[in-house]
Amino acid sequence: MLDRPLVEELIYRSCLLLDDKDFKGYLDLCDEEFRYTIATHSPEIRRDMIWLDHDKKGMTTLLTQLPRHNSDHSPLTRHATVYTVRFDTARQQGDVVSALQVFRTALEGGSTELFAVGKYLDTVKFDDGKLLLLRRVVKLDTRMLGIGYHIPL
Amino acid sequence: MAKNSAQWEQLPKFPSSHYVDSRIYTDQRIFEEERAKIFNRCWYIACHESEIPNACDYRTFQHPGGTPLVIVRGEDAKVRSFYNICPHRGNTLLYDPAGNAKRITCIFHAWSFDAKGNCIDISREEQGYQSRFRKEDAALREVRTETGYGGFVWVNVDDNCGPLQEFIGNAMSELQPYIGMPLEVFHYHRAIVNTNFKLWHDTNSEFYHDYMHYFNRVTGMLQPGYFDRKCVGYPNGHVLVGSMEIKYDAYEGSKARGVGWPGLAPGGWILIDLFPGITYNLRTSVLRMDTMVPLGPNKVIIEYRGVGLKSDTREQRAQRVFDHNTIWGPFGRNLHEDLLGVHGQGRAMREGTDSRWVLHGREENSTIHDEIGMRHYYAEWSRRIGRKAFDPFDERKVSAVA
Repeated sequence: MLDRPLVEELIYRSCLLLDDKDFKGYLDLCDEEFRYTIATHSPEIRRDMIWLDHDKKGMTTLLTQLPRHNSDHSPLTRHATVYTVRFDTARQQGDVVSALQVFRTALEGGSTELFAVGKYLDTVKFDDGKLLLLRRVVKLDTRMLGIGYHIPL
Repeated sequence: MAKNSAQWEQLPKFPSSHYVDSRIYTDQRIFEEERAKIFNRCWYIACHESEIPNACDYRTFQHPGGTPLVIVRGEDAKVRSFYNICPHRGNTLLYDPAGNAKRITCIFHAWSFDAKGNCIDISREEQGYQSRFRKEDAALREVRTETGYGGFVWVNVDDNCGPLQEFIGNAMSELQPYIGMPLEVFHYHRAIVNTNFKLWHDTNSEFYHDYMHYFNRVTGMLQPGYFDRKCVGYPNGHVLVGSMEIKYDAYEGSKARGVGWPGLAPGGWILIDLFPGITYNLRTSVLRMDTMVPLGPNKVIIEYRGVGLKSDTREQRAQRVFDHNTIWGPFGRNLHEDLLGVHGQGRAMREGTDSRWVLHGREENSTIHDEIGMRHYYAEWSRRIGRKAFDPFDERKVSAVA
């Protein structure tokens, strides 16, 4: 059954698992039909932009390939606050809007700086007694991400 | 055996054209000279025509020489550029990065200008200035502007500069057959990196750093033909890196690019570095454009554009966006690695670190791991700045070698 505390826990667990780089754990939260997108809007070219877009298989490959790449290893900390949850009981789904702040902590010295702000626009699905992420759109307000990052937000 | 201090200081055992003094990346005086003698003298890309498609559309641009500009498409469809500075009290005229303004009106005292730079209204003109100062005296400062080479809008703040074509010469000849159709920018983002702008341009001119990219190792470096790519230097410091075919299916999760680019061989790749800081990078289905706005010796804004065809269907555009993001987006495989690389150079080379030399010594018959591109760039840099890149402060008795 869909209820708000369950939805909130799913969103927060997704943050914790990504923060811990527990990618298998993160993908286990995702439905087989899961789709992940990072989107933003550019006032410079006056267009909406997609910066990353993968289905579950694509996400799995992306995360599996990470050790083969040279990456910034500074950890990210995702802080989400669930703002609204709208249930569609007929479809056993819910649309969830969460505020998102992501912080990056330097490995040397441990200083923390804000990396990005935006929102999670999620669709969750109640399936076979389990609540899963069906769709995640990370709608970024921040567009300057310095040297970037290899791990999705 | 590791070096002691004296050995570390010794000149590299190369001709003087094959290394540079690392202080050219960190010295404030040199940076100011670069702004004055290079960026304020060379043609530079401000934006793409697709960013200002309609009459009175504008786009602001922070010129790398220091002056804020605004690019405006007139009602006559002509693209012009002006200082984004009100001639009255020096305020910023247009604040948003892009928009549409039939009249450019300064928010401060409501002086207005048209898209040709004419002042068309001075509030309470007669009462304040009587006949001593008129609208004719208050026009905007116009900057030389041309559109070309894929529909990009080029500016030059030097009124006495030659035409754009003279500056580019034949450097774009290999790419021009592929960028003659209307193009459209679909991706734009910036990165501010604590590094010198030339180090980013160096990264774009040498492919030896493909060792850093797992993606390039498996899709390019391990493929036949990789070492056939030739680097060709052109007048004014421009460099072409010839084409090759990329084997995208060698990277799991990637695939041969179905959408391609008209006329370009499947998996084709042509890269052209234009002096002093522009890169055209056409790779299979996407044209990536890098331009830079240096903010200091060790700080630079890098602007990234992803460009497709204006005629793209929705599906074609979606594929180009996907291809672009896979390697070149802010979360792409290669861009982050390249930025990590120059960020590391900025860390190690900042003033006071006793970094001494940067080597450009590889000679491999002008092929892809030859460092001829950087040697060619720094010969032009030295000519324009009036300093030897290997001895910028005339401290050594070494003469320049071509």
